[in-house]
Amino acid sequence: MNGHPQLNEDFDLYALGALEGEEKQALEVHLRSCTDCRRKVEEARGRVALLALAAPPEVPPRQIRDRLLRQIHAKPVEQPPPPLAAFRRWPRPAFALLLATILLAIATALLVFQNGRLSRRVSELQAAALQQQEETERARSVLEVLTAPDTLQVTLVSGAAQPLPLGKTFYNSRKGLLFYAANLPALPPDQTYQLWLVPAEGNPVSAGIFTADPKGDGAVLLPVLPPGVAAKAFAVTVEPAGGVTQPTGPKVLIGVVS
Amino acid sequence: MPSRGTGAEPHAADLVLVRRVVDGDETALATLYDRYAGVVYSVVLRILRDPGAAEEILQDIFYQLWRNASNFDPARGTLPGWLLVSARNRAIDRLRRRNPDTTELAEQSVALPFNLEAAIAQNQLMSRVKAALAKLPPAQREALELAYFQGLTHSEIAQRTGEPLGTVKTRLRAAVQWLRRELNP
Repeated sequence: MNGHPQLNEDFDLYALGALEGEEKQALEVHLRSCTDCRRKVEEARGRVALLALAAPPEVPPRQIRDRLLRQIHAKPVEQPPPPLAAFRRWPRPAFALLLATILLAIATALLVFQNGRLSRRVSELQAAALQQQEETERARSVLEVLTAPDTLQVTLVSGAAQPLPLGKTFYNSRKGLLFYAANLPALPPDQTYQLWLVPAEGNPVSAGIFTADPKGDGAVLLPVLPPGVAAKAFAVTVEPAGGVTQPTGPKVLIGVVS
Repeated sequence: MPSRGTGAEPHAADLVLVRRVVDGDETALATLYDRYAGVVYSVVLRILRDPGAAEEILQDIFYQLWRNASNFDPARGTLPGWLLVSARNRAIDRLRRRNPDTTELAEQSVALPFNLEAAIAQNQLMSRVKAALAKLPPAQREALELAYFQGLTHSEIAQRTGEPLGTVKTRLRAAVQWLRRELNP
């Protein structure tokens, strides 16, 4: 598998130089396409570098500093060359040709560089896309199990003779709400079950009406709700058919957000 | 603007000094040398145990900094991080008689968990690293030191210590886990 290392210490072991053979190769191949893991290697290198501080402190002999300063004084930092003045003496066509060659070389170098950058970018994006696809597929599978008509719904209860009504809510204030109920008694046609989101502040918000099927199961999937409401509790009441704006009937289910 | 002086300015930040080195300021390089030559020399000497070779590498690392300072991107790794990584790499290469790693200056980027610039000046981090190592079980510590100061891989440590490879891997992993915990900012 060409995935992220399973354990974070792998980055430190790599930075330390202890990894070898396939382990090392696999990580290096992965690093080429994963910026996140490259950053982790940089961090691991920094951490491992601190081990240098465990070396017994020694003072370098003074003459090394003098030698270094003489050495750098003799060889100044490379500055970009100030070129064009020298070319003025060249005959015009030769100069033009030279200039064209230089420009062509620069353009080629830039293209090669650009190409390298683009291919790196492409492989990063490919890896990201692959990961996203996997995530989407997983999300879809979860949803399919939940919503497919032929999905078996088995509610597990303690061995009491008469199963009690129960409901389960999955609520995410940004993404929406899923609600399933089981063991609900059937209602007369002029009544309905209504799900309520009880916000941390303010009145209950209707999260939709639903009926129980002959087995007593019911569901509300992704009802329209005002966005970003913090929930304190969820409740199901029995209301007149068509639902009401504020709960009036008896509560049959209630769940407080813990 | 380039100055020939050799006096050191203890308070200028690394970043500022590196920029001045790019401009050819010899004083700035001298200041960086005064700041970091001690830790660089210590680790190289600990690895090689040969003062002559350690001095040579020390001088060369700072000479490389002088020649290539413009390639050094401070955003990608702090200077002390780069110096320590290069010092160790060069010393291990010499120890193992390998050709020096020709990796470009900028490619070996290092992200340090601490502000080494300040910590090295105050010696505080040194005692913290030493304390972290001292608390390791001796066998884990030995494995870690063989990896860091001798540049040995898992199987080379196993060979050196006569322990099974699996044992060495477990020990080194535990040692590294410990470091991750102890050396978090």
